[in-house]
Amino acid sequence: MNMEMTIAQLQAKLLREYYKGFSKFAKGKQPERKIAWVTSFAPVEILSALDIDYYYPESYAAVIAASGQEQALLKEAGRVGLSADCCAYSCCFEGSVSLEKGPRGVPPKPDILIASNNQCNTLPGWWNILAQRYDVPLIVTDYPGEGGNEEETRHYVKWQHERLIAQLEQLTERRMDRERLNRALDQSQISVKAWENVLQYMPDREAGGINLFDAMSYLILARCREETAVLYQKMAEELSCAAPANRESIQLFWLGYPLWYHPDRILSEVLDGCRVCGANYVSWWNLDYSGEDIFERLFRAYNYTFLNLKGSTRTEKLTELLQASRAQGVITLHNKSCKCDFVSARNIGLPQAELEIDMVDRTFLDVEGAKRKVQLLKQTICTG
Amino acid sequence: MVIVMRILSMSGFVPEQICDTIRFTGYLGRHSISHYCDYASDYISQILEDDSIDGAVYPKSCDSCRVITSYLENSGKFLHQIRVPAREDEGAAAYFAASIRAYQTELEKYFQIEIPEASIRERADMIAERNRRVRLKYDSLLEGASYFSYLSQIHRMLQQPLAEQEVEAPPPEKRARGIPIYLIGSFVGDLAVIGKMEEIGLKIVGDNITESKRLFSVKELDGRGDIYGQIARSILGNSLSPTQDDFSTVLARDMEEIRERGAKGVVFLIQKYCEAYDYLYYIYKRELDRLGIPVLRLSVSGTVNMQVRALALETFADMLQG
Repeated sequence: MNMEMTIAQLQAKLLREYYKGFSKFAKGKQPERKIAWVTSFAPVEILSALDIDYYYPESYAAVIAASGQEQALLKEAGRVGLSADCCAYSCCFEGSVSLEKGPRGVPPKPDILIASNNQCNTLPGWWNILAQRYDVPLIVTDYPGEGGNEEETRHYVKWQHERLIAQLEQLTERRMDRERLNRALDQSQISVKAWENVLQYMPDREAGGINLFDAMSYLILARCREETAVLYQKMAEELSCAAPANRESIQLFWLGYPLWYHPDRILSEVLDGCRVCGANYVSWWNLDYSGEDIFERLFRAYNYTFLNLKGSTRTEKLTELLQASRAQGVITLHNKSCKCDFVSARNIGLPQAELEIDMVDRTFLDVEGAKRKVQLLKQTICTG
Repeated sequence: MVIVMRILSMSGFVPEQICDTIRFTGYLGRHSISHYCDYASDYISQILEDDSIDGAVYPKSCDSCRVITSYLENSGKFLHQIRVPAREDEGAAAYFAASIRAYQTELEKYFQIEIPEASIRERADMIAERNRRVRLKYDSLLEGASYFSYLSQIHRMLQQPLAEQEVEAPPPEKRARGIPIYLIGSFVGDLAVIGKMEEIGLKIVGDNITESKRLFSVKELDGRGDIYGQIARSILGNSLSPTQDDFSTVLARDMEEIRERGAKGVVFLIQKYCEAYDYLYYIYKRELDRLGIPVLRLSVSGTVNMQVRALALETFADMLQG
């Protein structure tokens, strides 16, 4: 049945199901299932297999910025004492829960909070303040990442996943069906493959109405849902028939976060005569779910996220992406809210315009300064 | 063990039991990174600029630390990012034990030395003895000992090889009087702030900072299992850092000590762009407000000059004096 639905219908279905429990739609109705708030690289397949509903505060902060409501909420976070130096996702979301306001209200209150440090160490800190606010248990899964002794790391991560499952079984008062978890992992893997297929069209096809930064959000919100894979299959079909990209324009790679507050998610007003032919952020959730058993699959997927890799491996991966995109230059973003992504752009061998941005707070960007830097990049490429 | 290499260490998670390192206390460096912890960028500067330093050992416990290798990779020096777990339980201790063993192996390989277990055990005994003496000095703060003298001494001590670290009695003329306050924060890179506090009549009677409470609260080896497991449990069992992601426990323990020591206010020192402490402060503030204990958040950064900090401290002291 999903195969008969259009792209718009599939998107609407996934979003409707994700947001139905938010206060604006639920109107005081109590959730029927247990609720977890998770970081965006949490092993949600485990939650899915235990019928726990999960929500992503980070993604919601992006939605708030996209709806233009972030400034009032950032201000509220400052008023209640959260430093503006903290990640803008956390400030924006804290403002939202403090005022109980947001474009879709606020997510249903959590029964449990689940954080991981496989993208940054900021998120567990943020989740700690959520744990205080809601007085609910917090589970932090520690993923050491690449480097060190892999066997020791594997053992440590497996030990934590076993404990996580046990704690969630206790919360839900049910036993984990391991076959069901395996199927959820299969489905996530299918979604990733389907998304990779979409991305391969980025260098050579005009995306038309598909904004890849927005389209990627389903891989975060609903990666173990069948509809997500179907949606991406349909997007790939559409892109395969789309008009060829204008390769006469300057081909630029977008290195860093999307600007969630910007209608185009990129700084299109300074990119005249340029085309974004690739981006690394859209591949961050292309996790590798391979492995012979559930614990190996969870380990490979969640220990080796992009921001948890060694610098040299990150550079290798980035170089592959850059080569595939055939970019002539790079817009490199130094995100005030994400120190972990500050140094991704080293040793890539292409001219870059380095811009200071924040992915949520629009007031942080000096647009005129950005314009000058991009102009210089364009001149370097054209005369190089 | 005599220092045969000069390794600059950052963080109390670096196991002193393995070998001597020089604890990073501060450096006025040229390496500046936007929106990045000043303490970490000064550490990077010293590794890159100071020829007397042979290497660096640092954890992966915060966002600034986790990317340090990227800034140092071309330094040509010994670099080791020690893998510190973000939890304190049994599985974390086993992982940390392996990480400590790997640190030793890399040191031995790089510097072509051998670190015998007997030396590690001997160092563990010396650490336990030193910590007992530091603890006694910490308790003497309640009798009016100067916190500035206490902390200055720790900073000097941490620059020395373990065998030469001495804990002396503070000079009698340096006894502090004033309003009892409690200090929270990470490593205090700028002791002038502490001096200023005493000068204006704020008497620090207790703390939860890296080089004081978290140094001397490292537990003695428990004799169970191999030496690395014992060191791991010892370090993970100390007073918690916010980077270990258990704010509730940190908060509960600190609130208990704030009450026990009769602190009338709390000064929360935050390194600019140190998110772990910024988040911790947020919940501290709520709890202290609930308890009616005033708190001052003081940003320590090269961008905030001493005059601004002094003014904030004076206003806070006036407010406490009521």
